[in-house]
This record gives sequence, C-alpha cells and structure tokens, in this order.
Amino acid sequence: MTTRKSPGLKPLVQVDSEGGTADSGADDLAETRIAAVLGLKQFTQRPVRTLLVKGLAGTGKTTIALEILKAAGKGKGAYISSRVPKELLEMQIPAMKKTLQNHEFLDIRLEDATSALDCVIQLTAKKVRTIVFDSWDGLAKELEPKERLRAEKTLMALANNSGAQLVFVSEEPGATTIDYLVDGILELVRVEEQDRAVREFIIHKLRGTKIPQHKYLFTLLEGKFTFFGPYAIPDYSNVDKFVRRPDIDGSYSFGSGALDRLFGGIIPGSTMAIEYDENVPYSALRTIELPPIINFLSMGRSAILLPLPGANDERTNSILTKTLGKSVVGDRLNILNVVRTSDVETTQMLKNVTPNEIHEMVTRETTRLREKSKDRSVLLVKSVSALENLFASDLDSLLEVTSQEIITLAQSHDAHILFLAKDSPIRSRILSMSSSYAKLFVRDGTVLMFGVKPHTGIYVLQHLEDPTSPSLTQMV
Amino acid sequence: MNSLSATSGMEDFATTFANAVHGGLDKVLGQSGAAAVLSHMKMTSNLPDPAEFHKELLTLFGKEATLSLERAIVRDLVTRLKWALELLSIEGPFDFNTTMLKIQKGMKR
Repeated sequence: MTTRKSPGLKPLVQVDSEGGTADSGADDLAETRIAAVLGLKQFTQRPVRTLLVKGLAGTGKTTIALEILKAAGKGKGAYISSRVPKELLEMQIPAMKKTLQNHEFLDIRLEDATSALDCVIQLTAKKVRTIVFDSWDGLAKELEPKERLRAEKTLMALANNSGAQLVFVSEEPGATTIDYLVDGILELVRVEEQDRAVREFIIHKLRGTKIPQHKYLFTLLEGKFTFFGPYAIPDYSNVDKFVRRPDIDGSYSFGSGALDRLFGGIIPGSTMAIEYDENVPYSALRTIELPPIINFLSMGRSAILLPLPGANDERTNSILTKTLGKSVVGDRLNILNVVRTSDVETTQMLKNVTPNEIHEMVTRETTRLREKSKDRSVLLVKSVSALENLFASDLDSLLEVTSQEIITLAQSHDAHILFLAKDSPIRSRILSMSSSYAKLFVRDGTVLMFGVKPHTGIYVLQHLEDPTSPSLTQMV
Repeated sequence: MNSLSATSGMEDFATTFANAVHGGLDKVLGQSGAAAVLSHMKMTSNLPDPAEFHKELLTLFGKEATLSLERAIVRDLVTRLKWALELLSIEGPFDFNTTMLKIQKGMKR
C-alpha cells in the first residue's frame, strides 16, 4: 500500500483500502506536538529564568506549565502545587501523568508562604532545573502587598543565582507585582470565533528574546499543549504520492482523510460551498480544491476545474500530472480558466462572453467528460469569485446559471464544489442553495476551517505530510 | 568610637546580631522570605559567626544579592545600637565580616 515510486515515472496514486486509515489525524497531531515541544525546548534554553503563565480558569495554564516541565528532561524539574494533589492532577490531565511521575511533586496546599519559599530554596540548592509553582497567586493573596513583593523578589533572586527556571502559574488576569519582576509573561485566553471557542496564548514579554509574533493559537487536544505557528506554504517539490480513497457509504471521498472525517464525504448530487476570507492563502484553498479532483480522476471519473482568481495553472497542472500522469489529466480533466481571454478563444467563445455562455460551455464539457467517466459522474470545482470578477455587472445572470448548474448536477448525481469569497455579493443566495458549507479564515497567521453545514468543531489547517492534502487538528 | 560605645544597649553582640539579621532580611526578603532562608540555613535560633553566615548567603543568592542583604543587616544593626552609620568609617569595599568585627569591638568598649 505504501510502496514509494520515483516521481515522474509512473502515476503515484495508491489505493487506501481501509478508506481512511492512511493520513490519520493521530499522525498529524503527533507531528504538531513534536514541533510544539521543540519550540518549548528552544524557549526554555533562552535567557528567560522566570516565567509567568497567567490566564483564567480552564485556559490551559497547568498543561502548558507541565509541557515546560517535560521539556526540562526527566528528573530535572519539580512541581509545587498549592491547588491540587498529584493524584487529582494525574486524573485531570492523564496525558501528563508520566511527566508528573518523572519529576518531584511537592504538595503545599496547607502550607504557608514561608514553607513554599523554603521548598523553592531547597529545590534550587539541589540544582533542580525547572520549578513550576502552581499557583503562586493562591499563596501570594494571603500576603500583604509589601510582603508579597518582597517574597517575589526573594524568588527572583533565588532563580537568578541558582540558574533554575521558575515558572509561576497565576489565575490573576490583571497585572500584579510579579509581572514586573519576571523575565517572561505568557497569557492564555479562550476566545470565541464564529461561535466556536479557540485558545490563544499571548507573549507579553520575553526578555532577551526576539518576539516575531506575539499571539499564537493552541489546542489542548488529547490533554496536550500544541501550538500553531503561522501557516506555511507547502513544498510542492515533495509531491510524491496520493492515496486513492474509495467511496464512503455511497458518498464520494474528498481525497483527503482529514476532510472525509470532518464532512463524511461528498453526497452525489450535492453542492458544497467553501467560503474564505481575503487573508486565506491560495495554497490553503488549493489543498481543499485539489484532493477531490485527484481522487475523482484516480477513481476513473472526470472533473472540471474553474480555478480561483490568481491561480497558477502551470503549478496546478504540474501537481496533477505528477500524481496522476499526463494521459489521465489530458483525458478526463478540463481546466477552464474563464478569466483569461485566451481560454475563451480556445473554446471558440466570444470575447464578450455572458454567464449563460459559460454555463453552456460547462454543460458541454460535463457531457463530453461524462462519457469518459467510469460511472458517468463528474466533479465540478468552480470559483465563484472568478466568475464574479468576469460578470460584475450581471450578477443576477450569474446567480441564475449557478442555480441551474446546481439543479442539473444534483439530477445527474455529480459533485459540485463552489469556492466563494466572504464578501461575495451573491454569497447568501449561493449558500442557501448549497447542501454543505465550510468556512476558512485566518487568525494569528493560522488558517482555520470549520463546517457550518454540517456543524463541526474548528480545525487548524496545515500541511504536515502531503503538500496537496490538508492536515486538520481540532481546537479544543 | 567612644561615642558609639556610649549608645550601645544591654544586649550582647550575638543577640543583637541575630535580631539584626532577622530585621535586615525581613526588610529585603519579607517575613516569609527571611524565615524560609533562616530555616534553610538552620539558623532560626542560633546564628553562626558572620563569616559563616556570609558564605551561606552567598551560596543561596550570589554576590550582588548577598551584598544587598548584608548592607540591610548592617543598617538594621546600627539602628538597633542607635549608632550613626558613617561613624563606622569603613574604608575600601564593603566586607560583612570586617564590618561585624568592627561593630563587635565598638560594643565591647
């Protein structure tokens, strides 16, 4: 199933007989987790001795503090808890059980500030590398302001002299005295985005460290902290295989395990609308656009693509040819770039083409390619934005022909995927006609995706394995 | 130093030093910090000689922080003795042990 063949010699489509086991979400997640931990290791090696992790209850402070502890290395850290006993913490965050067992755990729930400071002194004297204090403010609140400041200064002096890294966990969202003393401040927040909760961490300060970006998204999926850097354009030179995905219970596969798991495949005759905002990079859209086409073609079916504005046809062709072979692409795929007059000329259309003429052209091509399709089904992937640009003065006609197309494709059990911009003037009409609807947008440089119809959770879109296929990690 | 000895109280040096250590550390580290440090040094009741104490502080806090703490202790001690700090007239860089010996001498007079 996974025999790798040299690129350019033979079509590189492989059959995924399990219908979704390859490209598993678990693998995707493992990759991001490794990246996150590496990131944290780099972070802990920087000149930051004292770090404050703050945020309201349930934002993931303890989990991130434990990840930092884990990054310190087995036996090199200690966890001072003024809130919960070890057993309870292991139950609450089972993924971190091993980390808790690998490091010293000091339960000071019933102790006072003096004992807490004594603990830190003992740990620093033992040359413990990383000490997590969860939570400091629980104890500090019992102290008078002046006394608190002095106790905090003591902790800073101990950390600075011993070389230990002190991580303070705090539930006080506002600035307190310790904010001014520590080297770094991370704030964890839970924000609502499109009626779904996303987690974000904000780097308020990191002395001696260049901060290229001060806000990042993260997830606590499987009880582990995984943060996401800005979206990275995939390296298409690594396109070397495509796992063919059979139909799923009568639905066409998206050609991507991640998309199939999220939407359950494409129901024959249905129209799926993909809405995107202006910040979504084209490569992120391509990763939704191409897998269904590749899979349709690899299943012996046909496809038509009306690309997004600004699409690089050569690149699209090169990816498709690399994965499917020249003959398949030439025989059963038609890329109609309606924005270019050259394409219109080659299809013998008039320069002042109308929406109806485009519709006729698509219908003709659909009929022609249907004959070549194994089971007479055709996939139409269409950019509404490209057509809107072309027919800006006649959007009613465009809407009319789009509606006709949706009906025709539904009757013939074809599949239809429409890409439309968030600010499309015909957006609401198109969406009302679509049987499923997903949205893509960008926050903190990260591309996010979720289903409106059907309702899904929110996912981070990356390219962790195959540059042509999306890896989706759920935000929880 | 005659004026100094005239203002010294009834306490012997060891007691005054112990009180000054608590007072000085309290001022910088706070009560909890001072208590934790002294507890760690096992010096809650019996303080060793200034030289040993200096070493212990140095291990915990390093050179700069130790200097600040020792200055605070000296200030507290001088206040307790109702001496004027400048009357100590110590030349050269601050040395905790030397200062303490000088104060101890002054108290004996």
